[in-house]
Amino acid sequence: MLRALLDRFWVLLGVITLVFFLTALVPGDPVDVMLGERATGADREALRASLGLDKSIVERWSSYVINVMQGDLGNSLLKQRPVTDLIQERLPATFQLAILSFAIVVAIAIPLGSYAARKHQQLGDHAATVFALLGQSIPNFWLGPMLVLLFSIYFAWLPISGNETWQHIILPAVTLGFSMTAIAVRMLRSSLLEILHQDWMRTARAKGGAESQVFWRHAVPNAMIPVLTLLSLQLGALLSGAVITEVVFSWPGIGSLLIDAIQQRDYPLIQGIVLVIAVLYIVINLVTDVLLGWIDPRIETQS
Amino acid sequence: MRLQQPILKYLWLILICCPTLVVAKTTTFAISNAPNSLHPILASDASSERINALIYQPIIELDGNDRPISGLADITQHDAQHYSLVLSSMQHRFSNNADVSLLDIEASLNLARHHPRSPQAQTLSNIASIETTEQSILISLKKPDYRFAEKLHISVAPKDMLLEDETLAQRPIGSGAFIWITTQGDGGVTLRHRRSAEEIRFVVNKDPTMRVLKLLKGEASILQNDLPHEMYRLLKDDPNIQVAQTPGTTFSYLGFNMADPILKQDEIRQAIAYAINRQDIVKHLFQGNAKLANTLLAPGHWAAHPDLPAYEYSPDKAKHLLATLGFSKDNPLELSYKTSTDPFRLRIAAVFQQQLREVGIHLKIQSYEWGSFFGDIKAGRFQLYSLSWVGIRSPDVFRYVYHSDSLPPSGANRGRYVSAEVDQLIEQAEELPLEKSLPLYRKIQEKIHRDLVYVPLWHEDQIVASRRGDLKPNKHGSYQYLEQAFGQH
Repeated sequence: MLRALLDRFWVLLGVITLVFFLTALVPGDPVDVMLGERATGADREALRASLGLDKSIVERWSSYVINVMQGDLGNSLLKQRPVTDLIQERLPATFQLAILSFAIVVAIAIPLGSYAARKHQQLGDHAATVFALLGQSIPNFWLGPMLVLLFSIYFAWLPISGNETWQHIILPAVTLGFSMTAIAVRMLRSSLLEILHQDWMRTARAKGGAESQVFWRHAVPNAMIPVLTLLSLQLGALLSGAVITEVVFSWPGIGSLLIDAIQQRDYPLIQGIVLVIAVLYIVINLVTDVLLGWIDPRIETQS
Repeated sequence: MRLQQPILKYLWLILICCPTLVVAKTTTFAISNAPNSLHPILASDASSERINALIYQPIIELDGNDRPISGLADITQHDAQHYSLVLSSMQHRFSNNADVSLLDIEASLNLARHHPRSPQAQTLSNIASIETTEQSILISLKKPDYRFAEKLHISVAPKDMLLEDETLAQRPIGSGAFIWITTQGDGGVTLRHRRSAEEIRFVVNKDPTMRVLKLLKGEASILQNDLPHEMYRLLKDDPNIQVAQTPGTTFSYLGFNMADPILKQDEIRQAIAYAINRQDIVKHLFQGNAKLANTLLAPGHWAAHPDLPAYEYSPDKAKHLLATLGFSKDNPLELSYKTSTDPFRLRIAAVFQQQLREVGIHLKIQSYEWGSFFGDIKAGRFQLYSLSWVGIRSPDVFRYVYHSDSLPPSGANRGRYVSAEVDQLIEQAEELPLEKSLPLYRKIQEKIHRDLVYVPLWHEDQIVASRRGDLKPNKHGSYQYLEQAFGQH
């Protein structure tokens, strides 16, 4: 476990370094955004110095890493507030949306994928396959407005955008969950179809257990291993902010904050958000590894 | 019954005397970008400036013709180098109930001069000294400036609060018509109108289609600009929505890199100007929501030249000019045009491309995300580009845009235009009183027009779509019409 944590520390350091240098390479100058074009050269240099942008990139990187280790992600250049505060304000909304979308994925994908595998080449399987195909083909930026037209404008059941009431989360969560559900359904279905024809499944059936018992007790847990890996990646993607969905529905998560930061060349904010996203991915992967080991002890032994 | 009547009377009295006890009516205004900062001096983005203008009052206000009038202070010009400010006769009070004082004005002015992040520092760099007495603030300038008063359009906040950048940026205290109430999670803000207690909530929605849907469904009551123009037609058809528009000051232009060996030839620039059918673009892409422009200053501005001849659409003239340089449809001139990724700007670029192809110019469109695009323009890495000037109120803009001292990064002479004659005219005009400077400003515009530094395109209208019928946008695109509309209730 200690080794695993140490490995992840190096990954994190790599992410910090990569993001820092990539951000510095992006064209555009935050001083321009802050002062406009009217400022004199002296004003620009003064501001550059006050922001620490006059130092060499290596100096800036080393002080950034030291500050990050102390929990200080710096101040947003444009909002003039600590990056940690800005991220903390947005993370709850991102978590809410991610958890509900993930719940939709799990609640629909596992029963539907299992049903499709059990009804292989029957009507139910075809319907599930069409659903999965649609889910993967329809982009969020189209689906979101279509759901709004249907449920907010035509039926007037749900609000269009914002995050004031619990109803506001439904459409963005469904939009996000739809494509991810489709991917999970396909993955679970194909994984189950492969497993259902394994020799050990035949053995399990030969022991005299009911088909449903064999299916849920032996097939599904084994088929869940690749699905769990996939779902963990999807959860990571959800927690890192669903940029398009957040923008369409004005959901105040870290995805829309990241877009603003990139557009305005707010370097500390970009770096802070990417760092938080990397930490979330690392934590999710760690939890997934533990879960996989719990479902299939051979995985832990092999690793 | 006896017992209830006095209670009812008291309740009625309370409701009449204390409007804040009545449940405040809230109007929702959907905007495309959240304000970055509500700091009166350090805010630099358009969204912050528009909302701040509702929260704070400036030292000197500008009237409908962009001439300085009293704001929080009255100004007296002793000579072109000495001015004095006294508190205006009308008493003004901050939202924390403290009276606005000369010390608050002095502190705000000094912060705008000296703070490293102040966008006004350059504009105020001509101030030599500020001396505050009990009655007035005396300002001495390093060199004469007859238009110094208009440079005092600077927001004022309480002196003690000015030291706390972060607090003021998040919990602003001003003396404007609206009081800040809260900032939402999406970065939008809620303000309360002082007189009517009516609240206005600015909600952020970047997607224009969603903003329109919010208005149509009644989730939002007001939208302003930033919509595809065909959507205004849709909104106009809705009986519950009023669309009001007014000619705006936002000036769009097609810019040339005058340092480019091809584009520094007058004939090429003229050919491009004649090849572009601005009328058709305004008619079809803007749905008529823009007015053709001939100069940077909008019609009606005191310094705008009213009689500049337009570059009419004339493909034949364009072909003839290109032919003199050996270019034709069979031997086209290759040029590149940089623009942002904004879909509407890309549509305009596609029309330019088609219209120029007709006369023998192959335009290669290069579209970049805003930061990269603007970075390239300032660095001079372009042949042609298109941008807009927003909120132009003073002819000082000529120095900033056309003077040879204003080459980026020390100004916005993005086209690298160098003319000793224009430099001299700008410098002379700046040293003259308003009326005497007018002929010089006209000469500057004539010369710029002749040299075709930009192809002047159009002034975009300011458009407000709302579910209330009492809103009329102003030409600069500010939200100050809300002050009057809310005050009527």
